[in-house]
Amino acid sequence: MENNSGPLSPHIQIYKWQLSSLLSITHRITGITNVIGFFLIVLWILFLSIGPEYYNFYQKFLRTFVGKFILVGFTWSFVYHMFNGIRHLAWDFGYGYEIKTANFSGVIVLLLSIITTFFIWII
Amino acid sequence: MKNHALNKWIIQRASAIVLIPLLLFFLYSLVDLVNQDYAGALDAFDNYLSIIIFTLFLIFSGLHLKLGLNEIIEDYIQDERLKANLNKVIILYSAVLPIIGIISLIKIIL
Repeated sequence: MENNSGPLSPHIQIYKWQLSSLLSITHRITGITNVIGFFLIVLWILFLSIGPEYYNFYQKFLRTFVGKFILVGFTWSFVYHMFNGIRHLAWDFGYGYEIKTANFSGVIVLLLSIITTFFIWII
Repeated sequence: MKNHALNKWIIQRASAIVLIPLLLFFLYSLVDLVNQDYAGALDAFDNYLSIIIFTLFLIFSGLHLKLGLNEIIEDYIQDERLKANLNKVIILYSAVLPIIGIISLIKIIL
């Protein structure tokens, strides 16, 4: 029997959103975002090695409003993935499974990711 | 290499732990680098410590993103052929990007 068109979990239409699941899917989305960010990092190093014309073009773009937004956005994405990754590591070692604890650590991760991004770029 | 899935699981976690300090170092340098002109940025890479840390960052990121993407493909793609092809693209992406980055770094320091 071949049925490859069946719906995949989670069934979005009937799904009740909670903090735990929201942070979980955000971990995946930031993971994919980081893959794109990684490409931009390598491109930046490549341009630096090629010469000033390429590098300055890239640099000029990063100093525009859109460029800064992209920088801050990717920074948050990396930092969130890192903090939530640490949360995952704690689970892997068997800690933090209580619903209250998991929700609390989720809020902490969210706050830390925002504060850290703020400190990196604003301060 | 008896248990392939277990190995992947361990490598994903191990690379994650290694990436924590590397990522923080990268973000820390990034803020400085964005404000540098070409000569300043070249200067920032003119020491072996930065080159080594960036090289490690590139290698472990490649490894970590390969395992993560494999897992996502495993979860959402049911067609076996498409899955196999996508996994080939992932291997290419996760290997080629770090190699380009490392060659560029070597070129910068030479």
